[in-house]
Amino acid sequence: MEIQLSLSPTADGLTVTLSGELDSLSAPKLYDQLSQAIKEHPNIKKISFECRNLSYISSAGAGILLLSLDNFGHRGIDFELRNVRPEVYNILDLLGLTKVMTVSNG
Amino acid sequence: MDKYILDFSATPDNLPIIRHFVQEHLAPYISDPIRLNQLTVATEELCANSIVHGNHSDPSQKLRLELRIDKKTLHIYLYDPAPPYALHKYPMPPQLLRKDTNRPGGLGIYLIRQLMDKIIVRRRGKSSVYHLVKNLT
Repeated sequence: MEIQLSLSPTADGLTVTLSGELDSLSAPKLYDQLSQAIKEHPNIKKISFECRNLSYISSAGAGILLLSLDNFGHRGIDFELRNVRPEVYNILDLLGLTKVMTVSNG
Repeated sequence: MDKYILDFSATPDNLPIIRHFVQEHLAPYISDPIRLNQLTVATEELCANSIVHGNHSDPSQKLRLELRIDKKTLHIYLYDPAPPYALHKYPMPPQLLRKDTNRPGGLGIYLIRQLMDKIIVRRRGKSSVYHLVKNLT
């Protein structure tokens, strides 16, 4: 299943709803859309990823989250992954992402 | 021991097919969804490395994935026409961001090494053979 993305600006941030599979094919799409959204909303302070329907993540998907954190985090933007499924959480935890961004289990 | 084979060309478009192949054939043996996902991820990472780095996403290059499984052990074989790389000797842990490229690097190999019990790499005929083993007991 391809990734489905929906981006919704909030008062001081952005909610990104992820559905499907985040892999090497779909990860660039996420990065491009995030970059565009940050360009359009330069005062964003927080990006929340709603991951209830994110069924799979590969190292390429995790890598794009790390790259986003590195490129946008220095602007003072906090990253949060919410409602992460146990299978996906396990991979993020193995890679150490749970130590560098807020990741809550679904 | 049951055996399942998938032949595929070296294009990243085949990665979803590869992981669905793995999930479909391992699900009857592995009830824990976290463990099933781990083995799917390890297999995809192995194939992705060969497709992208070994064969430069050249669809004329053909690879074979073979799963051999019984109640005790899973064997994953990847037959790859590209020269072998030392999957089992990469330095650990991975760099979350590589200093030379400022991009994440080595995450896939790190996952494979974390998730599998044994990794054997050898050259057989015209193929590099990557053999991953997981104890299921």
